[in-house]
Amino acid sequence: MNITINTVGNHHDVVLDGRLDTTNADQFQKDVAPLMEGDAPEIEMDCSGMTYTSSQGLRIFLMLQKSVNARGGHMVMKNMSPQVKEVFDITGFSNIIKIV
Amino acid sequence: MQAFEKELDLHGRAILEEYRSLYPVYERLRELVPQFISRSLKEARVLVTALESRVKTESSLAGKLALKGGKYAGILDITDIVGARVITFYSADVDKIAALIQKIFEVDWENSVDKRKQHSLESFGYMSLHYVCRIRPSLYSDPDCPELNNIRFEVQMRTALQHVWANMYHDTGYKSGLEVPPEHLRTLNRLAGVLELADDEFSRVRAQINDYRRKVHSLVRDGNFDEVSLSGDSFKSYLTLDPFGSLTEKIAAINQAEVQNVSLMPYLSALRMLGCQTIGDVERLRLKYSDLAYRMTVHQIGQTDLDIISSSLALQNICIVCVVVRGGGVYELEKLFESVNGPSPYNATRAEALIAFIDKLKK
Repeated sequence: MNITINTVGNHHDVVLDGRLDTTNADQFQKDVAPLMEGDAPEIEMDCSGMTYTSSQGLRIFLMLQKSVNARGGHMVMKNMSPQVKEVFDITGFSNIIKIV
Repeated sequence: MQAFEKELDLHGRAILEEYRSLYPVYERLRELVPQFISRSLKEARVLVTALESRVKTESSLAGKLALKGGKYAGILDITDIVGARVITFYSADVDKIAALIQKIFEVDWENSVDKRKQHSLESFGYMSLHYVCRIRPSLYSDPDCPELNNIRFEVQMRTALQHVWANMYHDTGYKSGLEVPPEHLRTLNRLAGVLELADDEFSRVRAQINDYRRKVHSLVRDGNFDEVSLSGDSFKSYLTLDPFGSLTEKIAAINQAEVQNVSLMPYLSALRMLGCQTIGDVERLRLKYSDLAYRMTVHQIGQTDLDIISSSLALQNICIVCVVVRGGGVYELEKLFESVNGPSPYNATRAEALIAFIDKLKK
């Protein structure tokens, strides 16, 4: 799983690429740590390159969403492949995380 | 010597001098009084629109002394040098706050006044409750500053509308220094009457809404679902019974999943869209579609190793199967998703896939 973060002020453009599963979830959590800081963050995640997310991945997205909410910011995930979107739908996570 | 001071007699000037020497104590009182009030409001869970405090300015005090300085033997006789004001939303809250003020401070009843009761049946005008108070030593004391417990201050309590009227009156009449012509005074007093009526109406509406909420809550709690219209309040009460809890537990058991609790309130509009008009309709929908919703979920997540779900999943899938079983198509499902999660380019493809999936499941 590769992650690229471009930050300008409180706006973070995040590009996710690859498969997010138990083998790389710990590293992914460390990679998104900078997004857990700062006031009113605006996070946009481009998921066009993400091929799969496991439950571990969902937990990290959830943690990030809660952190963003607590700091008065917004987070959206976009350009999801149908396979990844299905994971969010069948777990009810589409009701928790904003997907556009 | 300031210009305003020159207009005072010797007695007035002596009082003004006392004011200057006590000014640091007044400032401390100005800070302390709203702190005690604010803490008490918080504990009693009373919301107010504003809590403010001020120390009377030198020029304002001089103006008062020029008018009626002979009335005061010394500075301690003047009770409004430090003033706090609590502005409430509702007229009923003024009395509630008055009760809190009596609890916190020692009230000097002789000098306190309820302007609300000073009007005759035919007159309208300034409406505010003024308490003259002291800080009880049991509440706060500072051995280096005993004056903090001796100096009296004023607490004014009024509603936001009374506050607006008082400010307008002050601005147009009293402050200008000119007497207001009778016809304008009559207009101002008529406005006071209108605002008094509005204050009473706001309090009445609030009481009615609270009665309605209590009634709805008790009807829902007692299971009289058909008697309760579906609304934000009634749905919230219904959710306290955890009606989707058992299905959620069953779904979680499929993969021994962790359940992430989220609010189900976003589903209110979806349930209305599905034709639910009462809580009874929601309950029937739950009973009718829970089984198919469960079977659908087993097929969806049973083959995966996903072990975290949202607590909204049960209701989400009940709504989905309801739409499809009733013969709804892609459009209806798209509308359902949109009402819960907002518009998304994925909604149409998700709807198509689900219709095919549920149709197969029904067979």
